[in-house]
Amino acid sequence: MKVSVLYGTETGNAEMLADDIRSALCGKHDINCINLADLDPGALSSETFHVFVCSTYGDGELPASAKPFAEELARTGDGLSGIQFAVFGLGDAEYAETFTHGSLKLAELLKSCGATQVGERMTHDASGDCLPEDVAVPWISEILNQFPVHSKEM
Amino acid sequence: MSGQIAIVGAGPSGCYLAQALLKLAPDLKVDLIDALPVPFGLTRYGVAADHQGTKAVTRQFARTFERQGARFFGNVRVGRDLSLAQISSAYDATVLAAGLSSDRPLDIPGGDLPQVYGSARLTRALNEHPDAVTLPDLGAHPVILGNGNVAVDLLRILCKNPAEFDGSDLGPGPTAWLAANNIETITIVGRSPAAKAKFDPVMVRELRKLENIHVTMDEPESSSAPEEQKKLQALHDLNGHGTGSVRVNFRFGIQPLAVEGDSRVTGLRVAAVESEEIIGATSLITAIGFMSDGDLNRDTLITKAAPQQGGKLDERLYSAGWFRHGPRGTIPQSRADAQDTAALILSELTIDPARMGATIFAELPDCTDYLGWQQIDRVEQGQSLPGRCRQKITSTKKLINVAKQRGQNL
Repeated sequence: MKVSVLYGTETGNAEMLADDIRSALCGKHDINCINLADLDPGALSSETFHVFVCSTYGDGELPASAKPFAEELARTGDGLSGIQFAVFGLGDAEYAETFTHGSLKLAELLKSCGATQVGERMTHDASGDCLPEDVAVPWISEILNQFPVHSKEM
Repeated sequence: MSGQIAIVGAGPSGCYLAQALLKLAPDLKVDLIDALPVPFGLTRYGVAADHQGTKAVTRQFARTFERQGARFFGNVRVGRDLSLAQISSAYDATVLAAGLSSDRPLDIPGGDLPQVYGSARLTRALNEHPDAVTLPDLGAHPVILGNGNVAVDLLRILCKNPAEFDGSDLGPGPTAWLAANNIETITIVGRSPAAKAKFDPVMVRELRKLENIHVTMDEPESSSAPEEQKKLQALHDLNGHGTGSVRVNFRFGIQPLAVEGDSRVTGLRVAAVESEEIIGATSLITAIGFMSDGDLNRDTLITKAAPQQGGKLDERLYSAGWFRHGPRGTIPQSRADAQDTAALILSELTIDPARMGATIFAELPDCTDYLGWQQIDRVEQGQSLPGRCRQKITSTKKLINVAKQRGQNL
């Protein structure tokens, strides 16, 4: 199965996590990492499983690198039927009211455009004690295990 | 591409720049030099103790040292241990990313009274910076002058009750100091109207979690600009918050005229919309901006350089972060800048294998390295008290001693 880890980042933490997910899964899957700033929604493919890793910035807003992608999604409003995705949110529970709202908004947008969310949205708290990769890697492995086994294409 | 690059200042802008350079050119030698024995600058000593989520960005910087091969040379003060010319001649390119660590003075009569404290000075003391002064007695009625995030940070910390610091790295000294404060009112004064205040709405929203305060302000005006609306909404939601013992009064659109008092601060004379008044004060905290501490001749270098050149100051000499821009912009903005500056440096880099590189640090007996920092980090986390994630080592001498025991299991 082809997997794309797509990240929206402001300080670089989401990029680092996306890279960790790629490293952890690259033995099992054909997997790449793309900054949402470099991606047009039209380029999403039903042949690929998409993992969105997205932080939250400011007052519950999307991080800078996700904003153009989200604006384009909002503008088109559809066209993602057949697209499957999972979403992981980074946030800081010190800001309880808007904790991980960036990833929440992104997931809602994707669904409103016809994409299908697989699994539960998972989150990580930067003020907590655990490392994001320790939460994200088991979570995404579990989700990908639901799909029929495709060994990495040689 | 091989080649040797020195970055003076191992704070966020220096670390982001090292990260960006090594991403573009993994074979580079990138050496971060800092006046302190420890890396991370403002992230460690400027970001508030109760904002651990913001400090988490240091995990990225740690990887820059641990995986990308950047090197750390700590306790090296340029101008004391080595001159800028010595560093510059040893490297193919040198970047000044030393930040701005001094407080801009308050240029009004009485601005030099002893109870006028700059935010940088106070923040360093709260964060147990090794060169920090003793935390002062603020009295019952401190006034905070300034309307940026730094002012709100200080306001929040002064108002929190001890339990609200759980999970932070606030040290035992500052913890005891806060508990001993007998603050009754804090007035936070801004020159601009509420809509133009510089703080981020999220910082204002955070104040609504505090149990110790009750907030008063004149209901702010309205605005049609979306960014201003967010700010005004956050203030509106905060107005009237809480039933705690500390009264927090926001004042907008008033000009400070003079600090009142002969030998000690008794008030702040201000011009409000229609009249002058004196806001009673036992101390004044200024959060009105930062400036260079005079090291590295910043003002001369910056004035001489044409702006808008990706931080270039001279041949083979560049600048980054606040040192380059002045005191504005957030941590992620320095990341975006770093990517541009890294590209510019690499496009202009001429490699001279005869340059000495890091051998210039060999003669400095108390120079610390990244392994030394890891040892300090382990010790600090290991000695953290209940309710704290770290207890900093607070003296330069002790930091150096612990760093020298690097790699040992203490």
